[in-house]
Amino acid sequence: MLYCYTKKCFTAIIIISLALAKSSFAATADSTKTANSGNGITSGTVVDEENRPLKGATITVKGSSNAVQTNSDGHFEINAGSGSTLEIKAVNHYTNNVVVKNQSEPLKIRLLDQFLQSYDKIDVLYGVRDKSDFLGSISTVYTNQLVTTPGPTYDYSLPGQLTGLYTHQTSGFAQSQNGGTALLVQFLGQGDPNVVNGHNVSINDNSEFALSVRNHAVTTVIDGIQQNVAGIDPGSIESISILKDALSTMLLGINSSNPILLITTKKPEIGQPRISFTTQTAVQQSLGLPNNPLPAYLWAYLYNEGLENDGSAAFYTANDIAKYRDHSDPYGHPDVNWFNLLLKPYSPMQSDRLNVSGGDDVARYTISLGYLNQGGIFKEAPDVTYHSNNNISRYTLNSNINVNVTKNLSVDLQMYGRVQQMVEPGGLAGYGTIISAIEHTPNNAYPVRNPDGSLGGASTADVFKTNLLGMAQYSGYTQTNLKNVLVNLDLNYNLSSVTPGLSLKARGNLAIESQTNIVRTEQRQAYTFIQLDSTIKYSPIGSSSSLSNTFSTILFERDSFTQLMLDYDRRFGKSRVGAQALFDSKSIIANYDLPAETTNKALRGSYSYDDKYMAEATVNTSTYNRYAPGRQRGWFWAGGLGWQMGKESFIKDNVSWIDSWKWRVDYGKTGNNSGAPYYIYKQTYTNSGAPTYFFGINHAGTVGYMESTPIADPYISWESAKKLDVGADISLFHNLIQVNADYYHEKYYGLLTVPGDNIAILGTSYPAENLGQNLYTGFELALTYKNHINNFNYFITVNGASQASKVLFNDELPQRYPWLTHTGLPTNTIFGYTSLGYWTTADIGSKYTGPNSYTPQPGDIKYQDLNGDGKIDANDAHAIGNLKPLLFYGTTLGFNYKGFNLSMVLQGVGNLQRMANGYYNLPMLGFGLFGSGTPSQAYTQALDRWTPQTAATATKPRFSPTGEWAFNGNNSQSSTFYLKPANYFRLKNAEIGYTLPLSWAQRLKLASIRVFINAENIFTIAGYQEFPGEDPEINGDGSYPIQRVINGGLSIKL
Amino acid sequence: MMKNYKIIIFLSAVTLITACKKYNTFPLSQQTVDRVFDARDSLGANANKFLLTVYSQVINGQNRIDNNYLDAATDDAVPTAAAISEPLTQIATGTYTSFTFGFGSGDNVWSACYAGIRSANVFINNIDVVPVQATMPNIPNLSMKYAWKNEARFLRAYFYFQLIERYGGVPLIGDKVFNVGDNVKLPRNTFEQCVNYIVGECDAIKDTLLTAPLATSNYGRVTKGAALALKARVLLYAASPLFNGTTLITEAKAGNTGIGPRVVTDPNIVGYQVADQNRWKLAADAANDVIALKAYSLNPVFPDIFLDYPPSNNEVIFAKIVDAGTNVENKNGPIGFPAANSNGYTSPTQDLVDAFPMLSGIDIHAANSGFKPDSPYAHRDPRLQQTVFVNEQVWLNTPLQLFQGGQSIPNSGVPQTVTGYYSHKFMGESERVNNYVSHNEDWTIFRYAEILLNYAEAKNEFSGPSPDVYQKLFEVRKRAGISQGNGTYGLTITADKAVLRGIIQNERRIEMAFEEQRFFDIRRWKIAPTQMNPYKHGVQIVKSVGETTINYINVLPDVYKQNTFTPNQYLQPIPYNEVIGNLQMQQNPGW
Repeated sequence: MLYCYTKKCFTAIIIISLALAKSSFAATADSTKTANSGNGITSGTVVDEENRPLKGATITVKGSSNAVQTNSDGHFEINAGSGSTLEIKAVNHYTNNVVVKNQSEPLKIRLLDQFLQSYDKIDVLYGVRDKSDFLGSISTVYTNQLVTTPGPTYDYSLPGQLTGLYTHQTSGFAQSQNGGTALLVQFLGQGDPNVVNGHNVSINDNSEFALSVRNHAVTTVIDGIQQNVAGIDPGSIESISILKDALSTMLLGINSSNPILLITTKKPEIGQPRISFTTQTAVQQSLGLPNNPLPAYLWAYLYNEGLENDGSAAFYTANDIAKYRDHSDPYGHPDVNWFNLLLKPYSPMQSDRLNVSGGDDVARYTISLGYLNQGGIFKEAPDVTYHSNNNISRYTLNSNINVNVTKNLSVDLQMYGRVQQMVEPGGLAGYGTIISAIEHTPNNAYPVRNPDGSLGGASTADVFKTNLLGMAQYSGYTQTNLKNVLVNLDLNYNLSSVTPGLSLKARGNLAIESQTNIVRTEQRQAYTFIQLDSTIKYSPIGSSSSLSNTFSTILFERDSFTQLMLDYDRRFGKSRVGAQALFDSKSIIANYDLPAETTNKALRGSYSYDDKYMAEATVNTSTYNRYAPGRQRGWFWAGGLGWQMGKESFIKDNVSWIDSWKWRVDYGKTGNNSGAPYYIYKQTYTNSGAPTYFFGINHAGTVGYMESTPIADPYISWESAKKLDVGADISLFHNLIQVNADYYHEKYYGLLTVPGDNIAILGTSYPAENLGQNLYTGFELALTYKNHINNFNYFITVNGASQASKVLFNDELPQRYPWLTHTGLPTNTIFGYTSLGYWTTADIGSKYTGPNSYTPQPGDIKYQDLNGDGKIDANDAHAIGNLKPLLFYGTTLGFNYKGFNLSMVLQGVGNLQRMANGYYNLPMLGFGLFGSGTPSQAYTQALDRWTPQTAATATKPRFSPTGEWAFNGNNSQSSTFYLKPANYFRLKNAEIGYTLPLSWAQRLKLASIRVFINAENIFTIAGYQEFPGEDPEINGDGSYPIQRVINGGLSIKL
Repeated sequence: MMKNYKIIIFLSAVTLITACKKYNTFPLSQQTVDRVFDARDSLGANANKFLLTVYSQVINGQNRIDNNYLDAATDDAVPTAAAISEPLTQIATGTYTSFTFGFGSGDNVWSACYAGIRSANVFINNIDVVPVQATMPNIPNLSMKYAWKNEARFLRAYFYFQLIERYGGVPLIGDKVFNVGDNVKLPRNTFEQCVNYIVGECDAIKDTLLTAPLATSNYGRVTKGAALALKARVLLYAASPLFNGTTLITEAKAGNTGIGPRVVTDPNIVGYQVADQNRWKLAADAANDVIALKAYSLNPVFPDIFLDYPPSNNEVIFAKIVDAGTNVENKNGPIGFPAANSNGYTSPTQDLVDAFPMLSGIDIHAANSGFKPDSPYAHRDPRLQQTVFVNEQVWLNTPLQLFQGGQSIPNSGVPQTVTGYYSHKFMGESERVNNYVSHNEDWTIFRYAEILLNYAEAKNEFSGPSPDVYQKLFEVRKRAGISQGNGTYGLTITADKAVLRGIIQNERRIEMAFEEQRFFDIRRWKIAPTQMNPYKHGVQIVKSVGETTINYINVLPDVYKQNTFTPNQYLQPIPYNEVIGNLQMQQNPGW
């Protein structure tokens, strides 16, 4: 109800704002007529995409050297007659060629924004820097590249676009909030869900993408604040950067090891009120769900075969199989495709955004409103009064007000708010459980409904007793409400009066996040339908309960951040001197936790000479209050050198096609405090919770005390890294080609590792100590080419990265066999057995036991016995996968021709392997959901199983759904049999748009109007797919499938 | 001036933003040692709760390994779910290595006991500060905390005993509680040092402990009798052939390819290098000390030892307290009763059944026994049916159907007995009811009958058969319900020490079946190869109309034919990682 009401209100606000804006702008649009021109002179105005005057655009007459620039009104006059062609260029805009038809008529020329933007000033941590003397390794995308991707969070737009950012999408929907604490455990770590355990950044609502740079998770910083609100509307984001090296992250001190994902939201700009409105509607389609469950008769046939293999009698008679096949007995012999029954092929997504900005020299503002509604894949029952399908609806508000209080003091107030509601089916189950159940339940488990309309159930065993239809549609729902408020106040005081170039900046931030859960559960009775001759019996299974409600507060988190920064930046002749002193303090409180406090005191100095030679250094002393007193403070430092080789005369004078060639190198020591368990430095004692023991004959149990485990590590400290980055930023052929290249060599040490020699004589478990060492090295390269042929503007940018890792030290015990050693291998090495194909009747004679002393049969997978002891056990597992450096790459390319644009993002991963022994490869393996030993679903690939006849061509081992196999799993072991490439190449995103000609827009009293269609996950070439449509990124049991999204929309600017 | 004014406003604004409050520096919810061992806690409530945790670490033998009794790895029983991969089957068939032994649900006593020792040490080191006001009932004006401390010392000694009966000498760590940075890589102490340590502890604490009979509210606490009983058992083990003059190092070498490294070379670590007959005397004397307390007596009814509490039951000297319930029935009871959930774990062997004499006390193999193969369970030692379920024994108001296709041996694929017998010991009296009734399930660790048998064994070994020795056997047999006959309860009176040894060993087998004694007894007596290597037997009863045929079968030939008891199995392997991670640690011979 409230939901519906707010939706209406929101729509009304949009309509009213549009109407107001339209009328006010109608007047101004008329007054833009330009003065006429003289003889031989063509005059005109250049405007930008929003029909605002564009200053500094260059107009040249083709075939001559005649060139002028527009003034601040966008006006120009140039000596050019009718018939001549003018070429109009401006930074970050597409070039436009215009033929002068009638020189007496003033021209109005519009330049559209380039898709790939590039600026001289770049956003870095806590400030803005000149790109030319920045020594760090950074990769940036701007808003254009973010809004072409339809998705519920900005993370969806990142794959393939940022050099060095590795993305792995593990789910197609926000994480199931069922049970509530799942979220906290994920983001706060194991243990007490009411404390910040091992983390010092806020809770992250991005549960779909694993983002990492140089093998490490990123720390998200939004407008200078460590915050993780992935639900920010991409349209209100100005830019997203990743900061990869030690020098760029050093101001985070004890937290500086992780690379930074830096989000900068749109800042106010001076000018008349500008309003833009975008609305878009999308259709989502699931990728990566198995779409080929075996029909009931085949399943029954294979199950019989498996039983026979296991030496048991057949379960289904020929008559059963015939009935399954001809569907003549839908109640006694059901054949239900649960995927089709419960899941929708398409689901909708809708989003709207409104942005208003404007202001003058004194005060400026920008306000963004966003609305998103993402639907889910579940069908709903027509006869229940609630919605149970997955759904996220979100309202966001981001406002930024900037006021010059005095000449020297400016105040910047930013407020971000979010109200989000997520619904998922199943008061108790959660969508993951339901998807997993759909994947596991055989087609013949039970009829959906009995002849009398009641829910069906299985009579044979107590498994499958939860009717899936009931579970998905009649079991209530979980509704999670998430609210965020972030308030950010910046005070900037220009102290040039004290000494030129000096300024003081103070910042305060408060952030509140609250999450509550409403669970409405009901359970409907299922019945087993039994027909004996002519009598029909319904025997109830499970139990029923009427709808009940529970409400719980999952999280209430309060973060605060204060920062004081003294900045000095001044040029003395050819020298430029910069200095910065910084103090900040951050505090996070989750639920009843004590504040986790981090402080930094940093000094930064920079010097450059003649814009050719640059040097910079930062020292940061940083504390974290959860280490032992006296062990809370650490020193971190980084330094860099740069050389603008392009400005040296031997280049400048000799190699004209090099515009700029900057070498940079930096090295530093960083820290990471995110691994430390909650106050581990002091030994504590735990109440056992449950009674431990009792005396006396009446068995009255008493709660005991015990030492907490693991025991205290009084020496625990942060993890450290020494990082080297060498790079070059190159610009060639008059900025047509940009090259950015980096090499890094990062040694992480003091990694929290449980000692290998953790012998039991200690009498308790060992804590992790700062022991481990890993080495990460790699290359990153980005190439950008932008050019135009007349009005055909085109661009391509390619990025790629390689990541290698090596375990240098993990305090491993000497292993019995050299192949068991992990040290020296990549950190993500897959261990397993080497498969030698299938056992044959001839081989079986040799004495051998399989994993867990299993006795193999012909058709089971045969493993290599590395140590030759006649049995397969942990001693025979060795490194089999992910031994090569990971490669990943992306390309963004496109063109614009007279308002018509196309862009595409292609993205891929190489040298990645995975163990494909999931449920769809292990048919009828009754694991997980329904308990071991119960035969579960099988898919058509199961038909390729080993049989004596197909021994030569089989791609799956023999069927063995019962007995030892189900428990001991010879055939489910990690081995090269299931080791598959996880490489893929995707057309991740594409957009086709058309910006209507200016004259058309003006006729509608609009500054600009644009229509577009874009899409995500358009096609994928996967290194390995078990079944058509399987997605290479998602192969988890119960994962929400990732979505192909096709989206159309309209964008209006006033 | 104006300029400064602005700066002041600015700075005060900044101060407002940055002003912060000091919080606790350590969470109050995290309790430190001074809260548990509180110098102001005159009740000692929290300290007592810590002691409870130490008690709780005593191992409970009820269906301890793979849901079976450890005795399923002896000649008395076999595991019911006998997959070769099950840890208990591996123990039974000797198919384990130092790498696999003790993993999962196996007999992983090494880390469990060192964890118990650590907890005891934490208590022993900290209890002194607690001003416990309560005084001991048996010692005037002495704070209970001294009894508590000695209880912890007893438990620590008992944990060490659990280690040495499996591993031989182990590292003794004294009162030390190790922390991060301490050197825990300790070498093994000699077997003698370990025995002396345990005996020394028992002697040191025995006079400052509660004494039996305990108040019912103190039932379960360590008593003086428990300390003496532990001493008696340790000394009995020390005197036994496996340790007393050990030859294990040379024996275990033969034909064994252990994976090492660093196998023991000093025989004193795995036993006494030099045998000494006098150790039997020490053992006999120690057992006699318990008898001399006169605090314990045999419970007149054999099954009630495990069901009754004091004061009606004075046989139990020390037990691990376990919640009352019907777990024993649910785990071990005969299957096939729809109303009574049972799983039939631990299948007793025919060999155990045959070890029970006739009601007259005469061995069934003896010519004059009167044993009738066609009614094999009639007129037998009452302990037979109190220990093992046999065909047609009444249970849950029903004569058990232990024949092929019968209710409890349906051969339908669900786990069922593999020997034709189910285990009965420790169960409540459910003969005449329709469903199980909750009862005492405490795990008995020391009881008076063992003390009598310890004494008889040690005395016979030291000085040969004597009326004193026989008297102890008579007591046990009399209680069992064996008829007195001509006063010998069916026993042969002999002057041959070896013959009497066999009698005592058999009595121990049948009296203490499933009490985690047999597994260690056949090792310390060094009779394991002769007991473990032959096929184990079961029974297969085929019932046709009007006639019942009994077939004796070899149990699980496929699994058990591989079973050879090699001498290295006399001691368990030290867990592999303990040897690899500790350069001072030496592996047991043959591993």
